[in-house]
Amino acid sequence: MSTNALPLEGIRVVDLAQVFAGPACTRILADLGADVIRFESPNRLDVTRSLIITENDGLDHYYHRASYFVIRNTGKREVVVDLAKEEGREITRKLIARADVVVESFTPRVMANFGLDYERLKQIKPDIIMCSLSGYGQDGPMRDFAGYGMGLEPASGLSSITGYEGGPPIRSGLSFTDPYSGFIGAGAILTALHYRRRTGKGQYIDLSEQEAAIPIMAASLLDQQMNGRPTPRRGDRSAYAAPQGCYRCAGDDRWAVISCENDAEFERLAQATGHPEWVRDPRFATVLARHEHHDELDALITAWTSQRDHYDVMHTLQRAGVKAAAVLDGKEALFDPQFKARGHFDIVDQPLLGKRPVQRHMAAKFTRFEAKTRRPAPLLGQHNEEVLQELGYSDEEIAALKEAAVIADKPNLPVPPQLVAMALKLPYDRYLEHRILLAIEPDYREQLGIAD
Amino acid sequence: MTDRAMPDVRVVDISQGIAGPYATKLLADAGAAVIKVEPPAGDYTRRLGPFPGDVPDPEQSGLYLHLNTSKRSVTLDVSVPSGQVVLRKLLAKADVFVTGEKTSTLQAWGLTCADLRSQFPDLVVAQVSPFGATGPYADYDGNSLTAMAMSTIMYNTGEPDREPLATGGEPGAYIAGVQLWIGILAALENRAKRGGGDHVDVSMAEAVAAADEYNAAMYGFQGAIRRRYYSRHIFGYPNDIMECMDGHVVVIPGAGGFPSPLASDSISPMALLFEDPDLDQTVFFKQMGERMVNWREFEALIHPFLSTHTAMEIVMTAQALRLPFAFVPNAADLLFDEHLAERGFFVRQQDSKAGDITLPGAPFRMTETPLAMSPAPERGSANADVLVGELGYEQGDLTILSDQGVI
Repeated sequence: MSTNALPLEGIRVVDLAQVFAGPACTRILADLGADVIRFESPNRLDVTRSLIITENDGLDHYYHRASYFVIRNTGKREVVVDLAKEEGREITRKLIARADVVVESFTPRVMANFGLDYERLKQIKPDIIMCSLSGYGQDGPMRDFAGYGMGLEPASGLSSITGYEGGPPIRSGLSFTDPYSGFIGAGAILTALHYRRRTGKGQYIDLSEQEAAIPIMAASLLDQQMNGRPTPRRGDRSAYAAPQGCYRCAGDDRWAVISCENDAEFERLAQATGHPEWVRDPRFATVLARHEHHDELDALITAWTSQRDHYDVMHTLQRAGVKAAAVLDGKEALFDPQFKARGHFDIVDQPLLGKRPVQRHMAAKFTRFEAKTRRPAPLLGQHNEEVLQELGYSDEEIAALKEAAVIADKPNLPVPPQLVAMALKLPYDRYLEHRILLAIEPDYREQLGIAD
Repeated sequence: MTDRAMPDVRVVDISQGIAGPYATKLLADAGAAVIKVEPPAGDYTRRLGPFPGDVPDPEQSGLYLHLNTSKRSVTLDVSVPSGQVVLRKLLAKADVFVTGEKTSTLQAWGLTCADLRSQFPDLVVAQVSPFGATGPYADYDGNSLTAMAMSTIMYNTGEPDREPLATGGEPGAYIAGVQLWIGILAALENRAKRGGGDHVDVSMAEAVAAADEYNAAMYGFQGAIRRRYYSRHIFGYPNDIMECMDGHVVVIPGAGGFPSPLASDSISPMALLFEDPDLDQTVFFKQMGERMVNWREFEALIHPFLSTHTAMEIVMTAQALRLPFAFVPNAADLLFDEHLAERGFFVRQQDSKAGDITLPGAPFRMTETPLAMSPAPERGSANADVLVGELGYEQGDLTILSDQGVI
């Protein structure tokens, strides 16, 4: 029975993280019931407040409309505080004194410069759990490197084993190590909370995004040691299973993956595609032969898949006991029956934007509670007064802090917001022309059933 | 003086492969008592390499040795009643049960999560399956590749005119393992507060889809469908791997790399790096959209510099200019990386069979309760300790169970 009493109720998280990894981490904590209070600086907004802006008409308030920001910050509260000012740091210290967890994603030394390093936080709150998410960790020769997710996936080694056969290393179409290390951070914090409950002790967590993802490289690292063999890039093929690949289907740029991990699965593939003779063909009868003649087999499989819709390929093969899946684009994921049935996307009523689908970040389902989006993403500085009142600031003090620009609900940027919004308008017409976008569908809200 | 984070947690894990075992490795390395229940033939990763000298040996699979540190191994056929009796005795003393089987497989064995929940109300029953325990695809089979396909990430990875690419290293399985680990920790937290176990149900497809950066959001907030374009972001180019004199580097301009309209007299960090102030006057340095669609012309501008400088020169100079460029190491580079060595990331182990091996270390560091790894167990090496020592079986019972192929 789900009462939605959540596991992290009563846990307060001070969230000084920005962009992707840190916000993904604290979004999981928020969806598990923690009171997550985000900090932003009026002089330097979270850069994701300027990414992928809904109805960017070049006017003000673009920073309230960025979908990139919204999907990772639902369920949180936010204060905009200038940490360069002592009164701003004072607010932070007061909040930390009442907090359980502090998460930050600055490069090392920044927190120390603010007087907010772990040693000093411990003086304010002895059992505080602090988690620093950084590109390369808090020590070592590369500690001061600026780390962006686009560089950290390659830095973890993953790009060296991603790519077409014989081609160069390639990044994923997202900064994979950002969400991955964010999720790792959520688990690390839960581990520290488990220890604190038993012992009353807090601790410091140093999470290097590069290191967090290196265990995914384990098979390559061990092959290198054991056999001196670099792992080749092999497209979507497997070192073991054959056939395995991504096959063209009917329609514009539609694809499905298929993976046969043994002879029995291959026989089921041959039956399901109406080609039982493949099993008797000496080129394909054994796994070693299938590896050797993979190109020929792929051509035959493609002849079958290319006549069919990618979902038909998936369902036909799955019903026959073959591992297969349609390769989904962003729209298809929103309409997929499995994601729908399991509620992977919550519909959130976001101020200024209306109802919008937001993906779950806690992918586990529970029977006793639901780790879903509990409230919209905060507008810039939306909870300044609320949070400061909770800390005991009087209305006069709050007004004075606002007057002194210690707290703010508007950015203090050198360029007028209208100009920034114009600069952030992406050239979607040209993207369509170059097929960087597949389509733009003006009636998408009707299709999704979220129109006003 | 360090302590362990989770010595009070007992885990019984019947999962195989990567996802479930990686979740329980993270618990075991934090001090949880994990009993790895393997089929009598062993976890199937024991059959996957890499093996030293390419000689297959179930006790020397590199992948197994990585995924099963700090655990004890018991062999047990949990698909037959004689094995299930033993399993239920183990579960009576456990806090967490982990399985990587689909619901239909568990049903065929007569061992459903619902039954286990009612027999052991305080048990956290954690299940990771390709598409989740419920929904129209619950019976479908899958692996890391099918999860990547469903996630939208694969559709956006690769060249525009070729097939979508899955990220290397089976990340779909690892990310599902991480989500399972978080789910178990959340259920334990809830149990500590309110009592009672739970059923933690992780879909590999959802675990990867949770990592989607903005593909679904572009449709849900703009009606735009993103497509792969050399894996590039839609809001910035280059953030791309490019060839240099001795390998590859990631060219990342960051927030302030290209000319700023506010500081038009100063030379941009990107132009400084490429040693040519005139680059700032080109349309490719001034306008992101132009760079993006005419990227070959942009690349031609910086290629002469890249092709005559080493990755080390380029990345160190760029970082000094606060440009977040990065290296593109492979496995060998990582093993000899000075930064990782100084941080003590890798863990050297003396394995009784495989000898001296270097394993990837903990994915995060903790000051009070650092993760620690003891070597992965030999198959069934804890059978007597657990069955006789802890469950009260007679030594002779082991012979009967072994004869029947149950252990």
